[in-house]
Amino acid sequence: MTRIPYFPGCALKDQAAGFERAARAALEKLGWELAELPRWNCCGTVYSLSSDDLMRHVAPVRNFIRVQELGEEKLVALCAMCYNTLRRSSLFVAEDPERLRRINAFMDEEPDYEGGVEVLHLLQLLRDEIGYEEIEAKVERPLYGLRVAPYYGCMLLRPREVGIDDPDRPEVMELLFEYLGAEAVDSPHKVECCGAYQTVSNPWIARERVREIVGAAARRGADLIVTSCPLCTYNLEQHQLPNTREEKGARNGIPVIYFTQLLAFALGVQDEELGFEGAAIDPRPVLAQRVGG
Amino acid sequence: MAEVIKGDALRIPSREPEFVRRVEELSGEDVFACYQCGKCSAGCPFTTGMDLLPAEVLRLLQLGDERVLESRSPWVCASCLACEVRCPKGVDIAKVMEALRLLVLRKGETGLTWREIPPGVPQIALVGATRKLTP
Repeated sequence: MTRIPYFPGCALKDQAAGFERAARAALEKLGWELAELPRWNCCGTVYSLSSDDLMRHVAPVRNFIRVQELGEEKLVALCAMCYNTLRRSSLFVAEDPERLRRINAFMDEEPDYEGGVEVLHLLQLLRDEIGYEEIEAKVERPLYGLRVAPYYGCMLLRPREVGIDDPDRPEVMELLFEYLGAEAVDSPHKVECCGAYQTVSNPWIARERVREIVGAAARRGADLIVTSCPLCTYNLEQHQLPNTREEKGARNGIPVIYFTQLLAFALGVQDEELGFEGAAIDPRPVLAQRVGG
Repeated sequence: MAEVIKGDALRIPSREPEFVRRVEELSGEDVFACYQCGKCSAGCPFTTGMDLLPAEVLRLLQLGDERVLESRSPWVCASCLACEVRCPKGVDIAKVMEALRLLVLRKGETGLTWREIPPGVPQIALVGATRKLTP
């Protein structure tokens, strides 16, 4: 087993528990273990875009100190928002030693962060360290006949300096799905924002965004939409149908799952480890229909 | 990111209002670098909720027009950075939008009217909205 420090973040311990559970099970099949970072704290959620607000970088840096205490240099995140915020902050303090000096001085109860922690997203680990061919060799349930639409959203791709792939034409998820045997469904809206936190401030905007994103995937015949972000998943599920809250019993839209769940399913992970019970639109019927048990 | 080509040729320092200087300071961006190609507005997925297109926000800043301070566009922007990766002049418009929000938020005003919190909404939505839209 190869161990790698892992940052879960809040959603993976709550609404997105299946995202984590499936990741652990899938990685075990691949000989990797996600070693949860001791005493991790909030990533900061959204990266501050102001030039003068060092306070917003304290939370990420505190997590980097935890990694440093383990004598490790890498930290892998699953949630795209955590990945983006942590990775951008790691670059922000690396760019200017004075910023880091002041943050260290502010956190005088902590050992100084020396710099050098590299934040990775799990998709990068799968692509660059484990390798898709290695994954393909371990597929037990090939996803032949399954049409999967990747949804990247923003945080995996932008800005360029933290993007894990081309910001306009990414293929990291498409290639993964194809190595698992599935057909990747392309859509022009796969890199467009789902509405993010506007879901609480201007919900109609998120609803409009999701209609476009899900509509484009539906018109192209997607069986499933796959994400790497609990907020994208929430928006894509909840805003998919009109009056969803009133129609809770009668959902029949396109299921939205995490890439770790699709991977775990293909690797033959047992059903109870896949975390599908947390999905608002059950993906199990379409998986059974296309791929079988 | 495209190389930033400075916009000093367009700048008239003696006529530049304080709020424009402040937006540039907070954002770290040169709003005069924008040459109004409109790529940001064309690719922005939030324009239906905006009263000014992203390129218009930049243009009003260049002109020192205070109407930009009343715009709802910065409050609809969700920092998705579609504009940032496409700007041929390397202007990070999301940072300009954030600076315009901060001018209001740092006076103690809020840009977030709490509605009913939808059941099951992830914490990251609540924390994200609070961090971006409240003082």
